[in-house]
Amino acid sequence: MTTKRSALRAFGLKPALCAFGMFAGAMPAAAQDTTLTYMLWSPEQVEIEAPAIAAFESAHPGVTVKVQAMPPADYWPRVSAQAASGDLPDVMAMSSGFVQEWAAAGNLLDLSPYIGDSALDGYFTSAVNIGNIGGAQVAFPQNWVAPVLYYNRTAFDAAGVGYPNATWTWEDFRAAAEALTVDENADGTPEQYGYWVYGRYAHTDPWVFRNGGRYVTADGSALDITQPAVNALAFLASLVDDGFAPRPQELEGVRQQDVFGMGMAAMWVDGSWNIDNTRKLVGDTFEWGIAQVPMGPDATPETAAAYAWADMLAVTTDTEQADLAWAFVQHMTGPTLSAADFTAGKVPAWTATAETEQWLGRGQQPDNMELILEIGEQPLYTGFTRNWSDWRGYAAAGSGGLNGELDEVFNGRKPLSDALAAATAYGNDVLSR
Amino acid sequence: MPQHAPRTGARASQSRLAQRPARWKHWLPALLFLSPAIVGLVLFRLVPIVWAFVLSFTDWRIFDDIVWVGFDNYIHILSSPVARQVLGNTLWFTAMYVPGVVVLSVSLAVVLNNGLRSSAFFRGAFFLPYITATVAITLAWRWIFSTRFGLLNHLLDMVGLQGQAWLADPAWALPAVAIVSIWKDAGFYMILLIAGLQTIDPGYYEAARIDGARPFRRFYAITLPLLSRSLFFVLILALIRSTQTFEITYALTNGGPNRASTTLAFYIYQNAFVHFEMGYAAALAYLLCFAIGLVTLLNFWLRKRWVHE
Repeated sequence: MTTKRSALRAFGLKPALCAFGMFAGAMPAAAQDTTLTYMLWSPEQVEIEAPAIAAFESAHPGVTVKVQAMPPADYWPRVSAQAASGDLPDVMAMSSGFVQEWAAAGNLLDLSPYIGDSALDGYFTSAVNIGNIGGAQVAFPQNWVAPVLYYNRTAFDAAGVGYPNATWTWEDFRAAAEALTVDENADGTPEQYGYWVYGRYAHTDPWVFRNGGRYVTADGSALDITQPAVNALAFLASLVDDGFAPRPQELEGVRQQDVFGMGMAAMWVDGSWNIDNTRKLVGDTFEWGIAQVPMGPDATPETAAAYAWADMLAVTTDTEQADLAWAFVQHMTGPTLSAADFTAGKVPAWTATAETEQWLGRGQQPDNMELILEIGEQPLYTGFTRNWSDWRGYAAAGSGGLNGELDEVFNGRKPLSDALAAATAYGNDVLSR
Repeated sequence: MPQHAPRTGARASQSRLAQRPARWKHWLPALLFLSPAIVGLVLFRLVPIVWAFVLSFTDWRIFDDIVWVGFDNYIHILSSPVARQVLGNTLWFTAMYVPGVVVLSVSLAVVLNNGLRSSAFFRGAFFLPYITATVAITLAWRWIFSTRFGLLNHLLDMVGLQGQAWLADPAWALPAVAIVSIWKDAGFYMILLIAGLQTIDPGYYEAARIDGARPFRRFYAITLPLLSRSLFFVLILALIRSTQTFEITYALTNGGPNRASTTLAFYIYQNAFVHFEMGYAAALAYLLCFAIGLVTLLNFWLRKRWVHE
C-alpha cells in the first residue's frame, strides 16, 4: 500500500537517507521504485493475470505490483483485519455482496473524480453500475454473471416439449416441468425431475426479480417482502409440492451444481459461472442449452429486472497513490485480459472481449452464450444490502436467514407465510444492528 | 556471651545481604529464559482475553469504527430467538455427546484393558479417528449420511427400514453431528481411561472373584469407584469439548438445516469471521466462557459425592 518513499517518510528517515545519498553519491534509482499492492481471493487467478500484471509493470517503469491471493474464506478475514489496522492494499478484489458495507465503512475510494467521460466507453454499463453505491463509484467490474435457465435438450426432445423461449409463461414452465418428470420404475422416486430448486439466492431470487418482486426497501434499510416476491416463491414451492422438483433433503449429499449435469433434473436456474462445471460434467452425455428465466405474471416494465452481480476491483482509501491504483484497475478490467482469462460463463466487463468468438465458446455447449450478453443489456437489480450474507443466508452462514427458511418450505416442513415472517423478523434485526 | 550477640546479629545481617545478589543471580537467568514465553503469553493470550472482554461491550465490525454499546450485545443475545435456539442446540448437543462419549470410551477401555496382544492393535484403531484430519473423516461421514446415495440408508433399505435425510432433517442433523463427534473423540478418552484402569490393583478383582462376584458386580463395585478420578477428568474434558464443537459442524452440516445444528462455537465463528460482528461474537464467547466455568465449578462441587480420593 505504500511506496518506499512513503515508508521512509513514515519513519522520518527520508532526510537522513537523502543526506547519506548525497554523501555517497548514490541511491536515486532505488528511491523512485514504487510498489503497488493488490489482493484477490482466487490463487488460481494470479497465474491467469500474471501476463497482464507484467504488461502493466512494463508500461510503468519503476512500478512493481505485489500480488497476494488466498481463498475467499481467508481473504475476507484478512482484508478486514488489514482495514482495522489501516493497512489495506492499494487495490483489492471486491464482491457485489460486500461492496455496500465496505463503502459505508469508508474503506473504498470514490473513483468518480478519476473516471473521465470516455473511461466508461467499452464497458457493460449495467455492470459498472453495480459498483456505484449512492452515487459514488467505489468499485469497478472485472467480470459479471447472471442467472440463467439451464435446460436438457435431450430430455426435452424425449418428452416432446418445445425448448424454453422468451415468450414462456410460468404455466408453460410448470407444464414442461411436469412432462419432464420421469419415474421409469414407478417406485415413487423419479429418476429425472423436471426442475431443481432450493433456498439458495441464485435459485430463487431470479424468479422473484423477474416477477417484479423485492425483498428489501428501496434504500436497503429493511426487509419488506413484496407480494410479487411472495407469489414467485409460492410458485416455486408448488413445483416441489406437486412432485416436479425434488425436496432438497432428498438430494442431500449431492453437490447442488451437479444435479443438472448428472441428469437428475432437466431444468435448473443458477449463475452463468456454472457453465464451466456443467460443460465438464456433461461432456457429450446429453445436449443442453441456456435460456432466460421466464418473466412472471406480476411483472411490469418498471419492476421487472434481471439479476446480476459482478466481481470487481476497488481502490482503497489507505492508498497513497490513487492515480496509479486507478490506472491499474483500468488496465486489469479493460482489453488487456483475453477471453481465455475468464472462466466459462463469467462475462468480461469489457464488452469487446465478451463478444469474441472465443468467449462465446463456439463449438461447445451451450451454443447460445449471446443470451447472457443480452441479459447484460437489460435493467439489472442485485438486491444486495449491508449484511446481505447474514439475512439472506450465504456461504458459511448459508444454513440460516432466508435460505434456511425457504429450505424448510421446500422440504414441506413450514408454510411459506411462516417462513417469510421469520426471515423478515431476523433480517430486520440484522439490518437494525 | 551477650557481647557476642550483636556481632552474631551483624554477621547474620551481612550474610543476608550477601545472599541477595546470590538470589538475583539465581533468578535472573531463569527470568531471562522464561521471558520469551511470558511475553508471548501476555501478548497473545492475556491481552486478547482482556481485549475480547472489552470488545464485548462494543459494536465493532472489524473494518469499521468501534462504538461503545454497554450491555446491548448481552441483552440482544438473551432476547434473540436465534441465539436462544443456538443455546438450546448447544445444551442438546452436550446432553447427547457427554454421556455418549463417556459410556463408549469406558466400554472400549474396559474391553481393551485385558492385556491381550490384539488389544494394542484395537487401541490404535480406535485412537486413529482422533488424530485423522477432521475434514477428511467428515467428508466420509457425509457420504455415509447422504440421503439417496448414502451407505446408512442403503443398509437400512436392505433390512426393510425407511431411510432418513440425516443431515437435512432438523430432528436428525444435530444427533448426526453428535454421533460423528463421539466416534472421533472416544479413542482419546479411551486412552486416558485405560491409564486409569491400569492403576487399579488386580488383587481387588481376585478377591472379588473368590467371593463369587460376577463381572458386572466387579465392574460396578471395583472398576467404577476406583476409576472415578479418571472419569472425573474425562467428564470435565468432554463437557468443555461439547461446547466447542466447530470443525465437524462446519464440514458436515454447515449448521443447518435452518440452524438446527448450529451450536455456540459455530455461531461465534459465523458472527466473528463471516459477518465480522466482533463485539457481538466476543459477548457470545464470554457467555460461553461463563457457562463452561459454571458447569466446571458444579462438577468440582459434585466431585465430593462420587469421586474416590
